[in-house]
Amino acid sequence: MAATFKALGGNDTTTTRTLLHEAIPLTGTIVSGTYFLESSDTQTNIKRYGHGMWESVYDYPYLSSSANHIFDLTIGYSAQSNLSGAANMQNAKKINIYNQMAQVLVGFDENGLVRRFDQDGDHSGGNKINEAFFINYARLLTKDEIKKGSYNITFYTAGTKQVPTTPVTFADHGAATTYKTNSPAGDYSILYTSSATPRADGTSGKGLLYYQAGVAVLTSSIFLNNPFGPDNQYDKQFSSVRACMTGSLITSSCEALRNLWRDNNFSNTTELNSTVYFCRANHNEFNYSSNPTYLSSSKLVVKNVSDDAPVSYVTTIGLYADDNELVAVAKVSEPLKKDPTNELTLRVRLDY
Amino acid sequence: MAFLDNSGDIILDAVLTDTGRARLARADGSFRIAKFALGDDEIDYGLYDKTAASSADYDLQIMQTPILEAFTNNSSLLKSRLLSVPRTNILFLPILKLNTKFARTKMNTSAVDPTSVSNMFIVAADLDTTDNVPTGIGTEIDGLMEGAQPDKEEQSHIRIDQGLDTDELAPRAPLDDDLRDETYVVEIDNRLGRIVGKNGESPRASFVDDDQIASYVISAPMVSNNGNRDLVGVDGSSQTIQGPRGTILEFRIASSVDLQGSDFLFTKLGKTAQTYVIGGQNVTGLGTIDTHVRVSGMNTGYRIDVPVQFVKKLS
Repeated sequence: MAATFKALGGNDTTTTRTLLHEAIPLTGTIVSGTYFLESSDTQTNIKRYGHGMWESVYDYPYLSSSANHIFDLTIGYSAQSNLSGAANMQNAKKINIYNQMAQVLVGFDENGLVRRFDQDGDHSGGNKINEAFFINYARLLTKDEIKKGSYNITFYTAGTKQVPTTPVTFADHGAATTYKTNSPAGDYSILYTSSATPRADGTSGKGLLYYQAGVAVLTSSIFLNNPFGPDNQYDKQFSSVRACMTGSLITSSCEALRNLWRDNNFSNTTELNSTVYFCRANHNEFNYSSNPTYLSSSKLVVKNVSDDAPVSYVTTIGLYADDNELVAVAKVSEPLKKDPTNELTLRVRLDY
Repeated sequence: MAFLDNSGDIILDAVLTDTGRARLARADGSFRIAKFALGDDEIDYGLYDKTAASSADYDLQIMQTPILEAFTNNSSLLKSRLLSVPRTNILFLPILKLNTKFARTKMNTSAVDPTSVSNMFIVAADLDTTDNVPTGIGTEIDGLMEGAQPDKEEQSHIRIDQGLDTDELAPRAPLDDDLRDETYVVEIDNRLGRIVGKNGESPRASFVDDDQIASYVISAPMVSNNGNRDLVGVDGSSQTIQGPRGTILEFRIASSVDLQGSDFLFTKLGKTAQTYVIGGQNVTGLGTIDTHVRVSGMNTGYRIDVPVQFVKKLS
């Protein structure tokens, strides 16, 4: 009996899991400078909100439909921080931001109190990160997670507002093999300067990187003892990061941080779960076609006499449900010749 | 829908169709891939050159055919499927062909406005439409099916014959069993109509896809054996297939409830304020929708499109 469908058996399907990585470079010029509009003294790719609790960075002026949201920036400090003070600008909001991020990323202690960010990831004691910059990457960039061991970010940490100097790179050194799992938000690791060797006392950490959450938490102490800023393009420079965090708006602190941003690189990870269908065409299958051009007055155009071998050409593979409804389709990049002398196994992978 | 890069290794470009995604979203188990088929939509076998000096050159042009990338409209893909027949000595394959040789299987040609309804079957959407000329279009025109009363005997139906349409083989022998289509798949826009048998059969659609295309799997009694052995061309011949004949599919089209009760589909999909010219008289104020009904042989995969016009006297 002639047939155009072939059933897929248990040995014709399998499932696989593949990790796909993309390299993400975020240069300092995207974060500040490229889309600076001098006439209005604004960065057109930076979106600010009336509540002033964070600012969003886009890869293009955000009013354009071509713009992609790439990350958010904000700052916060713990209520137990030395910087906390009722006279500070947006003091409550800075504490709220810190607590919210800590609640999500660090979780609660045995008494139900929000834990603070820990410098070495050991919640039992040690130094806490009480004042932090938060870089919340968009899922568009991080996909399923940031690839462990791929992250680095470089800031200028000294110099003048016109000529920033002393770039320092913070990276998740060693995280490809060693990382922490005691966060409610998934895996994370500690950010070190490129030259630092993790010290046994756990004091060399400069921040935390949460891989699945896509959040980098940087301690403000990386800018300690140096002027900080400028807070706007060639505008004023804060005397210190402490002065900035207490005496300015959150968005001003974010802007100052962006102006010190040199570059940031990481790879993201997409977990592809795939089903592979092995579509096997045996020697005596799929050698004829129902293509209207295959016949001329019902006669096969690829044959002169009946003893000639039939031939057909595959360009498309259709995957069907039980009721013959086409649910997936695959195309080959060039026609595949099928005749009784050959067999084909077409491996069709559907990713989910 | 770009072409696929064919400069290097052979690559496979796979996507879920819109129906596949819809079934996946339903999460009711209907997304289950159970079978596959191979297609050759882009191939023009007319380029196969059997006169080339070397057999390696027979398909030189075919192998250079650019392939379009996969797209997601399920009803636009796999229009021609490859066929598995174990034997390799087949020189002829059956086709499907409209048989318009009977008074009740003719298509409309010139009884109505020939500029708009040439070579089509006509489905009158409701009873008002078939009132006498010039109020309506009447019932005495070729190719007319009364969509609101499809079980009425005196009206047209669509007949499709299967067989080897060649004068190299006489019709005395029947078509080989392994090439006969005993079952057909008929697809029609579910918003417009449904398939019914000419003897009152009312098959149910197997499924309706996301584009509202309903598929009917039809077999006996709407499919019958063609035992006629007359030569085509002799006086009184009612056959359209010249060689060995297989089966006959006969059906009518009933108009949908939406089409009968409302005019909006004519505004949305068709034309309004149309005029038929019947017997020299103008029938005005008609709405028309041009569509086609697709018929495929379940075994052989051969398919034809039957042109159909739905017509309604608009209110």
